[in-house]
Amino acid sequence: MPEITNPRPSDRAETDPVTARVNDARAGLAALLQEAEVARRQRAESTSEDGTAVCAWNHFENIPTFYNWNNRPR
Amino acid sequence: MGAQQPIGWSGMRGIATVPTYVVMQPTTLCNLDCSYCYLPFRRDDQRMPVTVAEAVAVSVNAWARTGRFSVVWHGGEPLAAGRDRFAALLAPFDGCVEHHIQTNATLIDDAWCEFFADRDIRVSVSVDGPEQRNGDRVNRGGHPAYDRISRGIGALRRHGIPFSALCVVGRPEPGLAAELYDYFLDLGCDVLGINVEELEGVNTRANRHPAEAVRAFWAELVAAWRRDPRIHLREIEWSLRYAGAVLDGTADEVLPRRLDPIPTVAYDGSVVLLSPELAGFSDPRYGDFTSGNVLVTPMDDILAGAIRTPWIREFLDGVEACRSTCPYFGFCGGAHAANRYFERGRFDVTATDHCRNSKMRLLEGVLDHARDHEPTAV
Repeated sequence: MPEITNPRPSDRAETDPVTARVNDARAGLAALLQEAEVARRQRAESTSEDGTAVCAWNHFENIPTFYNWNNRPR
Repeated sequence: MGAQQPIGWSGMRGIATVPTYVVMQPTTLCNLDCSYCYLPFRRDDQRMPVTVAEAVAVSVNAWARTGRFSVVWHGGEPLAAGRDRFAALLAPFDGCVEHHIQTNATLIDDAWCEFFADRDIRVSVSVDGPEQRNGDRVNRGGHPAYDRISRGIGALRRHGIPFSALCVVGRPEPGLAAELYDYFLDLGCDVLGINVEELEGVNTRANRHPAEAVRAFWAELVAAWRRDPRIHLREIEWSLRYAGAVLDGTADEVLPRRLDPIPTVAYDGSVVLLSPELAGFSDPRYGDFTSGNVLVTPMDDILAGAIRTPWIREFLDGVEACRSTCPYFGFCGGAHAANRYFERGRFDVTATDHCRNSKMRLLEGVLDHARDHEPTAV
C-alpha cells in the first residue's frame, strides 16, 4: 500500500486515512503490542523516586537526549 | 471495528512556559568533522563561561524543585570542553538536576568514566553501526574515527556505565536495519534512536529517498527488534505507542498539550527556543533566531516572551497548518522547526522530507510489518 500522499484534514473521523490504516492492521498490531509489553516488563530499568516505573511507553520522554515531540534530538 | 478519532487534535497548542529540559553548549568545538554534521562553528573553540551556567541554574534549580528536570550537554563535542571546565559548569546546578550528555565517545577514557559515575551523568553516544557504516564519521584529517569511538564505548562498558546510542542512517537499503540492530545488541546499549540523515544546518546533502525503501527499512527494523527486543528502540516503540492509542480510542491523548520550548543555551548565553539546530545561524528575514541572552534576561522571562520572536510566531502558524492538513498530525505533532527552515526556507510550511522519512514512512513501515505478520490461527 502506498504512503498516504494526499493528506486530508484530520478533523473528520470517518475520513482519517492514518487511523483507518492503523485499524486495518489491528490483528498484527495486537500481537506486536503484546510482545512489546512483555519486553518492557523484562527490561531492568530502575524505578524513579516517585515510584513511577521509568520503563513505560513514555520511556523516551525520560531521556531528553532522545526524545521530544517537537524536535527530535540528533 | 476501529476506534474513531475525536474531532481535531487537541495537543500542541502554544508553547509551554516551563520546559522539561535545557540544552547547553559547553563548547562549539568538535574534534571530529563528520560529513553530515549541521553545526556551523565546530572548528572553533568557543567555550561557555561559568557565568552562563550560573544564570541558567537560577531557573533550572527552581524548576527541578517542583519536578524532574534535565540539562542536556550537547556540542560541538561536549567533552572537548575538558573535565575541569565541565565540572565548573556543573557546579551551579542543584543535586536534584539530572545531567545528560550526547558525545561522539572518542574522548571517553577511565577518567571521564569516573567523572560520569561520580556525578550520575547519563551518557548517550553517537555511532552509526559497524565500522564500515561509519564512513561519514571522520576526524579533522579525514581519517576514520571508528577506532576511537569504539575505544570510548569500551571504556563505558569496562566501568559498567549504561549508555544510549544515536545512529544516523544516510541511505536506507535492504539488510541495513537488521545489520544495525544486531550491532547495537552486541554493543550493549540500553536505548537506541535511529535518525535518517537530515538536510539542515551546514549539511546540504539531499535527504530524499524512495518511499518504498524507507518504509522497508523501518519494517525490517521492526522484524529485527521483534526477534530480540532487549533494546528500547525509540522509533518502533514510539510508533507502537501511537498505534496502540489509536486502537484504544485514546490517540488524542498522546501529544503533549503544549510545545516544549527546549531552550538551547549557546556558549555565549544566547538562547534559541524550540530547535537547537538553529543556534549559530542567521537569516535576513529572521535575524539570528535567538530569543534573548541569559546574561541579560532571566530564562523565565525569555520563555514568557517567546511569542515575540518573529520566527516563532510563523512556526506556530506552521504547526496549525500541519494540524489542519496532515493526517499524521496526531502521531507527529507538526514538522520540526529546523527541518521546515533548512528544507524550505520558512516556518509556516508543512510536510518536509524529514517528516516523510522519519514520521510518515516510519509509521507506515511499522504498519506494513504488522499487516504482513498477522498471527496465524492454530
